[in-house]
Amino acid sequence: MSRPDVPVEPAEPVEPIIPVEQDPAVKVPLALEDWLAVGVLAILALITFVNVLVRYFTDQSFAWTEEISVFLLIVLTMAGGSTAFVRNHHIRIEAIADAGTPARQRRLALASHTVVLLFFILLAVLSVRLVIDEYRYEETSPAIGVPTWWYSIWLPVMAAAIALRTVGALRRLLRSGAR
Amino acid sequence: MIAALLFAVFAALMIIGVPVCVALGVAGTLAIVLSNQDVAWFGLLAVPQNFYAGLAKYPLLAIPMFVLVGSIFDRSGVARRLVDLAISIVGRGPGMLPLVAIAVAMFLGGISGSGPACAAAVGAVMIAAMSRAGYPGPFSASVVAAGAATDILIPPSIAFIIYSVLVPGASVPALFAAGMVPGLLAGFAQIVPTVWLARKHKMGTLEAHLPRPPFWASLRQASWGLAAPVLILGGMRLGWFTPTEAAVVAVFYGLFVGMCIHRTIKVRDLFIILREAAELSAVIMMVVALAGIFAWALSTLSIIDPITHAIVNSGLGEWGVLALLIVLLMTMGMFLDGISIFLIFVPLLMPIANAYGWDPVWFGVILTLKVALGQFTPPLAVNLMVSCRIARVPMESTVPWVLWLLGAMFLVLVAVLVFPQLALWLPHHLGY
Repeated sequence: MSRPDVPVEPAEPVEPIIPVEQDPAVKVPLALEDWLAVGVLAILALITFVNVLVRYFTDQSFAWTEEISVFLLIVLTMAGGSTAFVRNHHIRIEAIADAGTPARQRRLALASHTVVLLFFILLAVLSVRLVIDEYRYEETSPAIGVPTWWYSIWLPVMAAAIALRTVGALRRLLRSGAR
Repeated sequence: MIAALLFAVFAALMIIGVPVCVALGVAGTLAIVLSNQDVAWFGLLAVPQNFYAGLAKYPLLAIPMFVLVGSIFDRSGVARRLVDLAISIVGRGPGMLPLVAIAVAMFLGGISGSGPACAAAVGAVMIAAMSRAGYPGPFSASVVAAGAATDILIPPSIAFIIYSVLVPGASVPALFAAGMVPGLLAGFAQIVPTVWLARKHKMGTLEAHLPRPPFWASLRQASWGLAAPVLILGGMRLGWFTPTEAAVVAVFYGLFVGMCIHRTIKVRDLFIILREAAELSAVIMMVVALAGIFAWALSTLSIIDPITHAIVNSGLGEWGVLALLIVLLMTMGMFLDGISIFLIFVPLLMPIANAYGWDPVWFGVILTLKVALGQFTPPLAVNLMVSCRIARVPMESTVPWVLWLLGAMFLVLVAVLVFPQLALWLPHHLGY
């Protein structure tokens, strides 16, 4: 039974009332990627909004912003994806991995982090190849005409950043086992 | 052989708790290596190329924008004012609060495009109110999660945007229009068992005597929220803006309402709102990007045509195949989220749909209805996860209630299967 005489909820709950979770103890502050992702998202919203206004008042549209928006979309994905790996916010099946004895949970977490680490190291190495090719063949972007490697260079950089974040997560896991 | 390995590796990685996106990427990469063993670098350059190409699509910009709309309207105070208005109309009698929860979730579906965001906004207001009125937590969590599942059917919807990126024959406006009637039907279908269950178990009698909020004052308070779907859907219908632009207009409208009218959003909240939206969209788009590698590997293995051929000639007939697909997707929906289901299965299923001449828009609505069901089918139910966290109840406790709501929505799915016009009438009528 609920007890209506005990005030369990404030009169006007602050929306939404999902409890705040603590960030893991990282060495390099998460604010780095947070600010990058927040900045990029804000710029994306502003560019698109200005586009609507400009088209409205001048009957023109600057299509070249599409190219920048697409590029920013990739930066946003990598930056936000990086913090999501640290905060364990990526979509995954928790039913098996987060159940059972602590020792088993730790073994599975080690395995899954290692898979993530190896994949992003591979992605970083392979995308360096991609950037070198684009640099060597002097490819330019269709709308603005800048070298495409200006855009693609971010892929290995951010993939490496995610790999480093995963190294940090693995280190925290190993430490927690040593204690 | 390699194809079987592709799915086996994916399943194994998922089981040990690897995030879906990475599991898709690793399985795809392995398949590429195995089928290109005699090529330099094992054809691996396709991995970053497909990662890049999977993301570099302008229509995908609508995803972070609609996620941001959801985060802003979560905190804009609109949900609470809509709830007050709804209570002033229907009162607090038996079964009326859960009805209000579903109705407000459906209405917010016309503003935001993602189920979990809607579950958070409605849950924050309704779950506490329902527990004060004497509804058990598991019941409230089930109702909110189920009501919020109509969100991805009622336009705007992130699911439809992803489907339209995958299926060029289905435009976003046509899909949005097609989702309207099934979405409303799903909401009404859920209201029936909800009210019946509440009355049968004599829930929510504690606050039935409280006075209703005054109607006109509530209407005035809620008017800013009521105008939002008119702006978004009306603006798209009149051709003022594209879906992406509609989302951005809604972002600034929501910020204006939240910061200047209802004053629930402070300047320092902006960082948190943007961070939350950025991370959530990154989670979605990481799946999109890495599923690109998976889909590419699948397409180069040339197994899609033989599978399509085998299924079409299996003697099951059109309805048999359709039933088989529904069962398959229902099973997958218990373990996978909706976006991954779209990205993995749409490339596999579209050839089958084409073979039978199914309308791609209708097929998109069917798949989205399926995904909406999956959003509140335990154990992997994104909406239920959010509402259970707010109600502080374990997800298992919701099973006896949520089954009824699943059943009600399943009937809508069957209705749309049998009468495709339920989905297709509105887009045809509007001329998409």
